[in-house]
Amino acid sequence: MDIAAQLILNAIIAGAIYSLLALGFNLLYSTARFFDLGYGAMSVAGAYVAYTFYNLLDLSVPIAVLAGVLAAGTLGFVVEKLVYRPLRARKATHTVLLIASLGVLIVIQAVISIIFSSQFKILSKDVNLEPVFNVFGGAITQTQVIILVAALLIMVALALTLKYTLFGKAVNAIADDEEVARVVGVNSERVIGVVFFVGSAIGGAAGIATAFDSGIYPTIGLPLLLNGVIAFIVGGVGNVYGAVLGAFALAITENAAAWFLPGEWKFAIAFLVLIIFLIFRPQGILPK
Amino acid sequence: MEYLIHIAVLACIYGILGISLNLVMGETGLISVTHAAFYGLGAYAVAFLLVGFGINFFLATLAGMILASGVAFAIGVVFLRLKEVYYVLGTVGSNVILFSVLLNWNSVTRGPLGIGGIPRPEIFGFRFSENEAFLLLVLAAVAITYAISVLITRSSFGRVLNAIREDEDVVSVFGYSVYHYKLVIFTIGAAFAALAGAFLASYLTYISPFSFTVVESIFILSIVVLGGLGSGRGALIAAGILVITPEALRFVGFTPDIAAQMRQVLYGLILILLMLYRPQGLLGRFRI
Repeated sequence: MDIAAQLILNAIIAGAIYSLLALGFNLLYSTARFFDLGYGAMSVAGAYVAYTFYNLLDLSVPIAVLAGVLAAGTLGFVVEKLVYRPLRARKATHTVLLIASLGVLIVIQAVISIIFSSQFKILSKDVNLEPVFNVFGGAITQTQVIILVAALLIMVALALTLKYTLFGKAVNAIADDEEVARVVGVNSERVIGVVFFVGSAIGGAAGIATAFDSGIYPTIGLPLLLNGVIAFIVGGVGNVYGAVLGAFALAITENAAAWFLPGEWKFAIAFLVLIIFLIFRPQGILPK
Repeated sequence: MEYLIHIAVLACIYGILGISLNLVMGETGLISVTHAAFYGLGAYAVAFLLVGFGINFFLATLAGMILASGVAFAIGVVFLRLKEVYYVLGTVGSNVILFSVLLNWNSVTRGPLGIGGIPRPEIFGFRFSENEAFLLLVLAAVAITYAISVLITRSSFGRVLNAIREDEDVVSVFGYSVYHYKLVIFTIGAAFAALAGAFLASYLTYISPFSFTVVESIFILSIVVLGGLGSGRGALIAAGILVITPEALRFVGFTPDIAAQMRQVLYGLILILLMLYRPQGLLGRFRI
């Protein structure tokens, strides 16, 4: 097996998952205007619901994935209604929202640990039976191909929705200026509710993909969230294409670093990328 | 009785952490999620110097405080120019990186195994080996930390810090170098976090990197939020509450793993409920 080819393939798959994380986060941020740390928990919740349906209830993959995605979306919607909306109504500062969302992240992760134990879980059942494809000397599993295709489909669907539907236009209007959007008749509260459903569902999809690809544990919410946030900042805050670009830049750097450093440093490398960008190019690769 | 003293020692250690983070976060308005890293540096410095070289605890503590200050100074130089949430992420990143260093620098920190056999403090031939004596020592440290924090907040330096929290642009218009003020208080806060770490290492006689994760930083942050921003006394009371309350869970009869997760649920809920109903915390003087 060619190591270079393998690292490139790994970078592409990681990049696809980070893209989803960054896109969901970008959606939430551009409308609600704060760093929703609870987003990481929605990814984990989606992954664990899929795990329940697939591994525990023995249902088929599509049903499990659908259940996980819907669960993540619903959870995001409910948390927005119960926690963030009352805070926004009271004109709470960003710091207050940030700390509240931190609480959301901790509570949901801990509840998942209580239900499922903090053990590492993987969604694939028969890892050895899975077909493996050979691409330029690197190996890619069937699951990874499906993840890649699904991620691409979600990205395209999201881009089209934002560009051509009324909902997408409402989202863009709120992202530009919420007050003006409200003045011209956009029901911003309702749009933000839907955005939390969709954004969290995309986060859930990323969580499920991670669970299939490399496995999950309850506290993976924070790393997932931070990978999404780093991609989001590196790409350029509020820029949809930038988020994808940032995700791949992050994935490529992480996998290139895997040449020189053991895997334990991966997360530290991700932060090093973020820090370098914050210092030298805080507006990201593609500023909005 | 032995158990009560144990709880009291832990509450004191977290009291020091709470008071010192309050200086940074409460008085100056810098939401820092890296306090556990400085706490860890203090603990590791003491463990390394006591076990490896048999240096006196108090000298080693001083060395730990200087080390943490130095690292904090370097981190501060990089991050304190960043605004709001970027600063928060930068601090999360430095915690992640310092944790990776503690975890992977095997020759100095012994990696995930941690360092054991750390002796108790000794001065003029008297060894604080009894927990009662140790408690008195930690209480003295809390008193000193609290006194210094009061001195700082009542000084003209402290008033500038408070002004920075309220509106840093105005402060810089008046000719104060906001950046340098932030750097000084960030460095002082780190030194006291290291003091707490020194006591932890010597008290438990064993430390491992897993006590100094981002999650621990979040716990220290919840102490300050519960106590109320800008209240050293609040931080002390909150440290007591947050250390004692979860102990009740032990008596309800949860298994240790579940009890640990219930603690997380509790901390998370405290953050959410405080943000919803009492954002200024127990004794806070300021709104966030």
